[in-house]
Amino acid sequence: MTSKPHCSSSLSPFLSMNLVELARNIREQKVTSEEIVRKVFQNIDENEYNLHAYLAFWKDEAVEKARACDERIRLFREKNGTSEADNTALPPLLGVPVAIKDNLLYAGKPATCGSKMLENYIPPFAATCVEKLEEAGAVIIGKTNMDEFGMGVSTEHSYFGATSHPMDPKRVPGGSSGGSAAAVAANEALAALGTDTGGSVRQPAAFCGLYGLRPTYGSVSRHGLVAFASSMDQAGPITRSSIDAAVLYNIVTGADEKDQTSVLSPKIDLEVMENYRMEGKRIGIPKQLLAGEGKITISEEVANGLSVFRDFLRENGAVVEEVDMPVLSYAVPVYYILSSAEASSNLSRYDGIRYGFRAEGIEDLRELYTKTRSEGFGLEVKRRILLGNYVLSSEHFEDIYRKAEKARNLIRKAFDDAFERYDLLLSPTSPVTAPEKGEISDDPLTAYTSDLCTVPASLSGIPAISIPVKSCPALRPCAAGGNDEVSGNSPVLPIGIQLMGPRFGEQEILGAARFFEKHVKGGAEDA
Amino acid sequence: MTQISEDELNRIERLSGLSLSEGEREILYTDLARIVPYMERISELDIEDAPDQETASGEDLTDQLEEAGEKSVRSEGAVEIVLREDIAGDSGLSEAILSQAPKSADGMFTVPRTVE
Repeated sequence: MTSKPHCSSSLSPFLSMNLVELARNIREQKVTSEEIVRKVFQNIDENEYNLHAYLAFWKDEAVEKARACDERIRLFREKNGTSEADNTALPPLLGVPVAIKDNLLYAGKPATCGSKMLENYIPPFAATCVEKLEEAGAVIIGKTNMDEFGMGVSTEHSYFGATSHPMDPKRVPGGSSGGSAAAVAANEALAALGTDTGGSVRQPAAFCGLYGLRPTYGSVSRHGLVAFASSMDQAGPITRSSIDAAVLYNIVTGADEKDQTSVLSPKIDLEVMENYRMEGKRIGIPKQLLAGEGKITISEEVANGLSVFRDFLRENGAVVEEVDMPVLSYAVPVYYILSSAEASSNLSRYDGIRYGFRAEGIEDLRELYTKTRSEGFGLEVKRRILLGNYVLSSEHFEDIYRKAEKARNLIRKAFDDAFERYDLLLSPTSPVTAPEKGEISDDPLTAYTSDLCTVPASLSGIPAISIPVKSCPALRPCAAGGNDEVSGNSPVLPIGIQLMGPRFGEQEILGAARFFEKHVKGGAEDA
Repeated sequence: MTQISEDELNRIERLSGLSLSEGEREILYTDLARIVPYMERISELDIEDAPDQETASGEDLTDQLEEAGEKSVRSEGAVEIVLREDIAGDSGLSEAILSQAPKSADGMFTVPRTVE
């Protein structure tokens, strides 16, 4: 017997659950996957016109899949009994609707990467991490908007139009995984995968009040993730709770013979995570990540959020102190040199021959390449390709590219040394809260320097998580039942705090994130 | 500080397989004239003592994994760098792959004439 269908509003308790609880309720037939999936599509119907979080979604197919999940549960319970112990033999996310960023391939569905170049491209295979999500029973409902090929910090550089911030349509949701973050924040998906090269999971999560985990480089296979900068590209979850982030991480992580840089890394023990103790932890705040960069300085709200977070850690027994890591002052130029170099090489595959866009009216092969690429790529992508070829050209290779590689090793070493002394490193995720459209993206150098806090972890391959903290005064007053709105009409925009850990330190950073989430009601949990 | 010359921009444009419109050239030239000197800031950095190692070795990874509390990894040997055999096989996808090509014929990609 299945339970009676719920009306839309009685679904609310289920929709506010974390993914573990929701999946259990679906397995126990307290709610059906079909009801949850239909509700998510109702949210899409209501919001998507203004939000534009998705580049593609497939309602009928998703509902069909959800029904199949419900049927599978029914048959399973008929045969094996109805205790939860029996039900755990079912896949952990069975029936849960999840979205994926458009640069993660899903067989038979478009993968435009936000580019005209791949407007009509339909991949014949799926990314390993997407396959793993499906094996875990998730219902993949759509592909989310992104800056073209992941190059941007605002999702304004999508060929198919910008995504808006779910709280304020004048603002950006961050990027490049802005579609994934906006979709989750607006309940158009219950969780999403994004990808993070220089901060593209963490920064949109921060702007949208969500958790965003960039896993240790190599712990999630890059097979089927459309390459931007291969030495830094990494898929990661964007979620409403730290538990959801851990659950998705556990599903997508693993060694994969199709990605030789992938490695079998430890899974998160959710019980250990739940019992994380802050007492005695040593936490460093790299001074250089507070200094600002170029025209970007840390905003008052962000500085305030950071100091409240720091005080919270201290009150709970952690030792928090500033740490000097001078080489981090060079992280942004090093990141843009190396990532542009890799991009210029990776994007040379778009030649108009094997897949994707091909320009019309071609006379010869050279023209086929140049015309296709000139018409197929947007301005930001061209800027990065030119930069990449500049630093790789023979005149500049030693002075710029090689030097940046060495500087990257110094940055890695600085983190290795820091983690000898500290369990975690702390910084804002972004120096600012979600800017208005055009405010940062109109000036490329300013947009690049806004990556100051996120690129160091990318260059070092270490894991980092963005934890949502509401703008002051919400954080502590909310613990005593404060409200979200300040006087005036503007909503209080979320702030993200970043915790970085040593390679394979996901258990530590997720434990700390969960500790904060549990102890600051109204801070993270209600964000 | 290096400034990019018009000639250099032309050369990079050619290397990039791009042909920019006049409007794009103007924008990108201005941008690069600001971004390149910013990148060249790294020349201030003393890299004498920078470690050469560009990626962690298998042993490093194993150590780090063990520090992270994963005892079982070494025995599974997952962090050894293992090269698989290079065996040609049929993906069964050639039709699907060719269907994505802008032009194809007789099971092959079609390109403009390359030899006069």
